[in-house]
Amino acid sequence: MSQLVKLIIDGQDYEAEQDSLLIQLLIDKEIKVPYFCYHESLGADGNCRMCMVGIEGQKRPQIACDTLIKEGMIVNTKTDTIKQVHTDILELELINHPVDCPTCDQAGECSLQDFYMEYGLHSSKITIEEKVKHNKAIDLGSNVMLDQERCVLCARCTRFTDKITGTHELGIVGRGDEAKVTTMPNRPLSNPYAMNVVDLCPVGALTSKDFRFSQRVWLLESADGVCHGCAKNCSIIIDHNKLKYKDDTIYRFRPRRNDAINGFFICDTGRLSYRELQENRQETPLLDGVKISEDKAIEKAKELILLYKRNTSIIIDANLYTQEIEAIVAFAQEIGADVYAPLDIYRDEAFGDDMLRSSMRAANAQTIINMDINTQKPKKVGLILNFNHPEKFESAATINFLTHTRAETALTLPIATFTESSGSLTNEDGITQFSKKVIHKNIPVPTLIESLKRVSQ
Amino acid sequence: MSFKFTEDNLLEIERLKKRYPAPQALCLPSLWMAQYQEGYISLEAIDAISQVTTIPAMEIYRVATFYTMFHLEKSDKIEVDVCKTLSCKLCGSDEILKHLESKSDIKINHVECLGSCGTAPVMQINDKNYENLTNTKVDAILKEL
Amino acid sequence: MRECQIVSRKFHIENACTLRVAKEHGAYNSLVKLKEYDPQHITQIIKESMLRGKGGGGAPAGMKWELMPLDDKKPNFLVVNCDESEPGTFKDRQIISKDPHLLIEGIILTCYAIKAKAAYIYIRGEYKEYQEILQNAIDEAYSAGLLKECDITIHRGAGAYICGEKSALLESMEGKRGHPRLKPKQKEPEWFFGNATLVNNVETIATVPFIVKNGADAYRAYGTEKSPGTLLFAMSGHINRPGVYEAEFGTNMLEYINHYGGGIKNGKKLKALIPGGVSCGVLTAKECEGLTLDYEALRSAGSSLGTGGMIVMDEDTNMLEALKNILEFYHEESCGQCTPCREGSGWSDKIVGRILEGNGTKEDLDKLFELADIMNGKTICVFAPSISTVLVSFISKFRDEFEAVVS
Ligand SMILES: Cc1cc2nc3c(=O)[nH]c(=O)nc-3n(C[C@H](O)[C@H](O)[C@H](O)COP(=O)(O)O)c2cc1C
Ligand code: SF4
Ligand code: SF4
Ligand code: SF4
Ligand code: FES
Ligand code: FES
Repeated sequence: MSQLVKLIIDGQDYEAEQDSLLIQLLIDKEIKVPYFCYHESLGADGNCRMCMVGIEGQKRPQIACDTLIKEGMIVNTKTDTIKQVHTDILELELINHPVDCPTCDQAGECSLQDFYMEYGLHSSKITIEEKVKHNKAIDLGSNVMLDQERCVLCARCTRFTDKITGTHELGIVGRGDEAKVTTMPNRPLSNPYAMNVVDLCPVGALTSKDFRFSQRVWLLESADGVCHGCAKNCSIIIDHNKLKYKDDTIYRFRPRRNDAINGFFICDTGRLSYRELQENRQETPLLDGVKISEDKAIEKAKELILLYKRNTSIIIDANLYTQEIEAIVAFAQEIGADVYAPLDIYRDEAFGDDMLRSSMRAANAQTIINMDINTQKPKKVGLILNFNHPEKFESAATINFLTHTRAETALTLPIATFTESSGSLTNEDGITQFSKKVIHKNIPVPTLIESLKRVSQ
Repeated sequence: MSFKFTEDNLLEIERLKKRYPAPQALCLPSLWMAQYQEGYISLEAIDAISQVTTIPAMEIYRVATFYTMFHLEKSDKIEVDVCKTLSCKLCGSDEILKHLESKSDIKINHVECLGSCGTAPVMQINDKNYENLTNTKVDAILKEL
Repeated sequence: MRECQIVSRKFHIENACTLRVAKEHGAYNSLVKLKEYDPQHITQIIKESMLRGKGGGGAPAGMKWELMPLDDKKPNFLVVNCDESEPGTFKDRQIISKDPHLLIEGIILTCYAIKAKAAYIYIRGEYKEYQEILQNAIDEAYSAGLLKECDITIHRGAGAYICGEKSALLESMEGKRGHPRLKPKQKEPEWFFGNATLVNNVETIATVPFIVKNGADAYRAYGTEKSPGTLLFAMSGHINRPGVYEAEFGTNMLEYINHYGGGIKNGKKLKALIPGGVSCGVLTAKECEGLTLDYEALRSAGSSLGTGGMIVMDEDTNMLEALKNILEFYHEESCGQCTPCREGSGWSDKIVGRILEGNGTKEDLDKLFELADIMNGKTICVFAPSISTVLVSFISKFRDEFEAVVS
C-alpha cells in the first residue's frame, strides 16, 4: 500500500494514494472532465489531450492522465481557462467528424456527443467538403464495423488488441490527419474477445454488426446478469425492452465490470449467447411430439414417477441455479431417485484460454462438484427425469424439463431460461453471484422450481 | 508468393543484431533491405521482418505506412521526388514541377525539404540528389536514366 | 567579420573526407587528451565551454551529459541526431560529407565522457549519398583501430521530419512509428530500450574535438557571453550565394547575409526572413536591421535562432503563398498522434488555402489566431506550437497582405 496524501480539487478536499493517476481519481469521484483515450484497463496514452486540468504552480494546463497525485496538489477543473481549453480541443476533434448523431448508432452513448452538448458546441466551422474523407463502413471482422470518419483516433481499440489480447489485428496507419484505424489487408479482426472494442470505443466509430441499428439505445432497459456461457460466470449487463405488441426481448449482452471475475470484458461467445437463448424455445408441454395441456402433462408426469418408484434417475444440467439444483436434490430424496450431473459433455478444451474462457462450459458446474453430485453417466433405468441436461440417456421412459426444443418424443415440460428466473451460481474460482429475473414474458414459461412443485404435489 | 531475404541480407541482419541492445531495432534496417530487394514492401516481407525483429506484423505495417520513403505497392515508373518546400519554391520549384508533369513514364512525388535548400531547386531519383535544377538540366538527367 | 573555423576548418580541403587527408590536417589529435582526462573531466570542460546544442534548441550540452549515470549498472548510449529535416537547414550534411572524421572524433570523445560503448547516427533517409561517405569514413576509422572503445552504427530513417525530435527518434530506432513520447516531469536522460541515452546534434558533437583540444576558454573566445562559440549558419532562398558559412554567435545578421551571401538576388530588396528553419517566427526586413545572430537577440525579437538556417525572401514574395507552403509542410509532417496538432495542422492549411484562393473571410483570420492558440502548449511535443508561431508571426506582421484578399 502506498501512502495516502491530501489534495484539493475545485476547492474540495480529497484523499488519494500518492503517485496514483489524477484522472482515475476524477473519474472515481465523478468530477467531470472530458476524455477519450484514457481507460482504466488500458492505461494512459495521452493522445486526445482532452483531459486538461489546471494544476497550481504549473504555467500551462496539464493532462490529468499523465499527472501523478502528490501531497498538497491543488487542481482546478472548472475554471474559465480550463473550460475554454476543453471547448477548443473538442472543437478540433469535431473538425473531421461528421456530427450526424441522428443517424449514428452510438447516439446516446457517445462521449463526443455528451461533451459537445455539454460545452455547447453545435456546428463545426469547417465545411463538409473540406473534411478529410474516409471509409464509412468497413467490416473489420468478428462482427465489428468501423466508420473511419467518426473515429477520434484515441487508440483504445488498437491498444486492446495490442495489450489485452496480444493479437495485434488493429492498428493506426498513415500519419497526420490521414491516420486511420485499420486491419492489415486480408487479416481481419479475429480473436475471441474482439467485440469488446465496440464497448471501448468512446464514439460511434466501432459498432457491432450484431446490434447495429437494431435498437436505439435510449429505448433499452439495462439489468445486471451473469453469463452462462462457461464456468467463469462473467458479469454482464442485459439490454432488453418490451415494445408495444411485442414480447420482452434481449438485444444484447454487454460486460459489467467485476474486478473479481471478468474485469471490463467478456468473450464474444458469451456476448452473443443471448441469441440462442431466445431461439427455439420450448413453450408448451409435449407428449410424443404432440402439444398437450399443462395439466395433462403434470398428470402424466406424476403417473410415470409413481410407476417407476425406486427405479428413477434424475439428470441435472450444470447450468441451473443453485436453488434449482437444491430443489431437485430434495425432490430426488423424496421419491428415492438417484441424482446425476454428467459433466463430460461440457468439457471443451478448445474453448478454454488463459484470459476468461473456461474449458468447462457449464455455468454452475462448481456447485455440482461442491454438492458432491455424481458426475458419471446414469445406468440404464426405468425412468429418467432430465432437467435440461444436453445429453440423452437410455431408459424405458423419460420426462424432460427443457428451456429449448429438442428432437425428443418423450414427455416434455417447458421451463424458464436463466434470464426469466432468479438464482445464484458459483464460478470455477468459487465466487458466487446472484442473478435476478430480468425478462418478463407476455406468457411466462414456468420456472423449474414451479414445475417441480406441481409435479411433486 | 513468399518472401525470403537474400543470403547477403541475412548476413547483414545477423551482423546488425549484434550492434543493438534489442532485435526490434532492426525494423527500419530490414524494411530498407526488403524494399531494395523487391522494389517495394510486400505483406510477405512484413511477415519476414516480423520474424527478424520479434515485432508483430501489424506494427511493422504501421511503421511502413508512417515513413514516406517506404512503398507498399510496386511501381514500374521512375520515382522522381521533387522538393516543394519553401526554399525550393522561392527558387522556382513550381516551374520544375510543371516541366516534369509534361513527361510520361515517371511518377512525380511532391516531397518536403530534402536538405539541399542552398542548392535549390532539387529533386531526388534513386537516392541521388540533383541540385540547382533548370528545365534543361532536368531533361538531361531524365535522358540519362 | 571574424572568420571562424571551428567546425568548418576542413570543408574546403579536397578529400578531407578520407582518413589520410583528414589526419594530415589534424584529425583525431584531440584523442591524446583521453589519456590525461577522466570522463567527468571531459564533461566538465564541455560544461565550462557553455557549448549549446546545435540541433535547434540550444540546450547547454554539458548539463545534458551530466544527466548520464556513470555507475556501469546498465549500458549507456550516444545517439547523434542527423535527421536534419528542418526546412532551410543543410549544415549537418556538410559535416558528414566534407569532414566525417571530425564527427567520428567527436563521437569517440563523447562516448568516453558518458561511458557509452556504442553510438548510433540517426540519418535521414534522403541522405543516402552522404551516408555512404560517412560509412566509408567509419570503416576507415575501424581499420585504423580508432574505434576499439566504442562502436558506431548508422541508423537510416525513412522520411519523417518528426523523427528529428529526440524522443520520436528513439521510438523510431526502437522499431516503432516516430511518435514523440510524453515528456518526463523531471530532468532525466533519454531512453533507448530503457537504457540512458544522450542525444546530440551532429554539429554539437563535431564541436567537441575543438573544445577538448583547445579548452573551454578557446571556444568561449568566440560568440557572446550567453551564446558562446560558433554555428554553421546557412542561407537559402532569394540570396546570391546560398550556402553554409560558419560564424560566431553575435554576428550581425544583415552583414552576414551581405558578406557571405552576396546580398539579395537580382538586386532586390529584403522583405522577410525566417531565421533558423521554418519553425522560427518570420522577421520583417525592418526587424532584421541591427539584429545579431544569437539565441538571446532572436528571442527578444520575438523569434528564435533555431538551426541557424535562414530563409531569405525578397520584396516580390507573396507572404500568403509562403505561409501556405510552410503549413503544407506541417500538415504533411504531423505525426498525427495528438488531437490539436493532427487536426489543427490540416485545418490551418485548409483555411489559408481558402484565403489564397480568394474565398477567405475576416473570420478566417481570427480563426487562424484561435487555432494558433489551441495548438500552443497543449500537445505532446513542440511541433504544434511551432505551427502557432508561424501562423501568428506571418499574419500579424503581414496583416495588410492577408486583409487585402479576405472579404
Ligand atoms: C519537431 C522537431 C524536429 C527536430 N529535428 C531535429 C533535427 O532534425 N536534428 C536535430 O539535431 N535536432 C532536431 N530537433 C531537436 C532534438 O529534439 C534534440 O533537441 C536535439 O537533437 C538535441 O541535440 P542538441 O542539444 O545537440 O541540439 C528537433 C526537435 C523537434 C521538436
Ligand atoms: S475506432 Fe474508436 S476506439 Fe478505435 S481509435 Fe477510433 S475512436 Fe478510438
Ligand atoms: S468467458 Fe465464459 S462466462 Fe465469460 S463471457 Fe465468455 S462464455 Fe460467458
Ligand atoms: S504535436 Fe504533432 S508532431 Fe507532436 S506528438 Fe502531437 S501530433 Fe505528433
Ligand atoms: S485522456 Fe488524457 S490525453 Fe486523452
Ligand atoms: S526546401 Fe527544398 S531542399 Fe530544402
